[in-house]
Amino acid sequence: MKARVVLVGAVAVALLPIAYLLSLALRPAGEVLNSSLLPDTVSFDNFVKVFDTIELGTMLTNSWVSAVGAAVLAVVIATPAAYFTARHVRGERLLTVLLASYCAPPIVAIIPLFFLLRYAGLTNGVAGLILVNGIAGVPVAAWLLDGFVRRIPVEIDEAAAIDGLSVVATLRKVVIPLLWPGIVAALLVTFFLSYNDFLFAVYLAVTKESQTLTVGLSLFQGDRNVQFGQQAAAGLLGVAPVYVLALAAQRYLVGGLTTGATK
Amino acid sequence: MSSPTGAVEIAGLTKTYDDHAVVDDLTLTLPDGSLTVLVGPSGCGKSTTLRIVAGLERADGGTVSIGGRDVTAESPRTRDVAMVFQNYALYPHLSVAANIAFPLRNNGVAKDEATRRAREAADRVGITALLDRKPRQLSGGQQQRVAIARALVRTPKVFLFDEPLSNLDAKLRVELRSEIRRLQQDSGITALYVTHDQEEAMTIADQLVVLDAGTIAQVGTPEELYRRPANTFVAAFIGSPSMNLLDGTVRDGTFEGDGVRFAAPGADAAAVTLGVRPEDMLVAPSEHGNGTVEIVELLGPRYVLIVTAGAHRLTAVVEAATVAGWGRTPAPGDAVTVDVRPDRVHLFDGTSGRRLT
Repeated sequence: MKARVVLVGAVAVALLPIAYLLSLALRPAGEVLNSSLLPDTVSFDNFVKVFDTIELGTMLTNSWVSAVGAAVLAVVIATPAAYFTARHVRGERLLTVLLASYCAPPIVAIIPLFFLLRYAGLTNGVAGLILVNGIAGVPVAAWLLDGFVRRIPVEIDEAAAIDGLSVVATLRKVVIPLLWPGIVAALLVTFFLSYNDFLFAVYLAVTKESQTLTVGLSLFQGDRNVQFGQQAAAGLLGVAPVYVLALAAQRYLVGGLTTGATK
Repeated sequence: MSSPTGAVEIAGLTKTYDDHAVVDDLTLTLPDGSLTVLVGPSGCGKSTTLRIVAGLERADGGTVSIGGRDVTAESPRTRDVAMVFQNYALYPHLSVAANIAFPLRNNGVAKDEATRRAREAADRVGITALLDRKPRQLSGGQQQRVAIARALVRTPKVFLFDEPLSNLDAKLRVELRSEIRRLQQDSGITALYVTHDQEEAMTIADQLVVLDAGTIAQVGTPEELYRRPANTFVAAFIGSPSMNLLDGTVRDGTFEGDGVRFAAPGADAAAVTLGVRPEDMLVAPSEHGNGTVEIVELLGPRYVLIVTAGAHRLTAVVEAATVAGWGRTPAPGDAVTVDVRPDRVHLFDGTSGRRLT
């Protein structure tokens, strides 16, 4: 009973910012600064006006396309990588090296990444964001998938080898079909990471056509007259589908994170 | 339907882990169409040897050839071997039928033909009714039958069995081992079988190989190893209950050691180990015996008696019919005479453990 109270409290605290965001988004512009917890009058104006203030549609599209693309790219690279790190004697060390690179602050990579992307003509577009976020997501995806591969008995790989499969064919026909829960978990986690990315997006995609939602939200702050209500509405519109996705895929997410942690 | 597939030659095989030789210069021939069992305690190198034959592990030295072809450098998929694993290693995402057909499909057999042959193999191991199920819906015994069918389906050059029955319960083990024996004989395919269970090894082997710390302690038929163990290691390992082994001396045809004297036809020696099988012990109730009963176990048609004599604890197997003639069932504390059948004793060198005669 006590534990339940604590848990409910923790959930309430976690949800409070979202609730307040909703409360802000639903009040008319004049009420924003009155610091009450609940709106006096409910209005959906912000949700309409925000589309005029910023290119919300374009930004949402950019965010989704780049995050989905990055997630797919990360998992496509990480799956064979995890197969190696989980199965090869030296794999564990490689995984550590891979993860260590993830621990460095990403900002140190910004300058070289910017020049590399500009050289490749990939700045100011989702392709560049997919490439950067996708590769940045590889260590996390590989680490997650490594735990899932290790749960597959190695004898199954050996049986496949004896039954006539090459290493690549074993990965494709035997390991990947057994790895689906892990692949879904890795896709979700890398999707969320790049959907939430601000740093890469703000440096590498600065034109109106290529901005993502995170960058778009930050632009409200620069105005002389901050539209808190619209910012809240835009934030909710960006976050809501991701919340739904996370809830729908909860099973994979929880399984994925704990597998990686305890393996 | 005997179709010889060729002998397997293992020559000078060596495998080292962390400076420790797991397999040490092992040379062995598996005769064409025979079933060879590698048996020994854990860590003796039996599984490693099998895995090297499979190609799942690389040897540090030596060669493996199958049907006259050197396969030492080949990967498992080109060796044309089939393997049954201790933990079954079925493909969990495939149906039983697809599991059995899997090796055929990978080797370019058309779908209809593969399905037909999978059904045939399933029929031979009695699992036709399970073809549409997934492995997780099967019991351990059924899963292992699927694994055996998967090995049978493609008539490989060699069957490899890595402790296939160790995860099953005792009754099923006995049932499946004779079935494996029958299937192997019917197919005529050379087989290598690894187990730690000497009884299982004895019952199915054409050729029995006892391994001790990576080297061969003895090779022969189960009967040869039982009747004439080459050393104390084999003597102690083969047979259940284990052979009694007593250290002492032999002088004028009499063994003497730690308070017991038995007739032992052999040359005089200062340090010998006398080996006597429990069924070759002669035990009889007697007021002034040289031994005392300690434990009595009834195993159906016979009794196992643990008796103390001198400083030794000896195991004796006595037929129930013999015990019936004694008038009463022996009980702990009973005085007994303990002797051996002199024509059945084994003498080993006291230091090397090697058989003397």
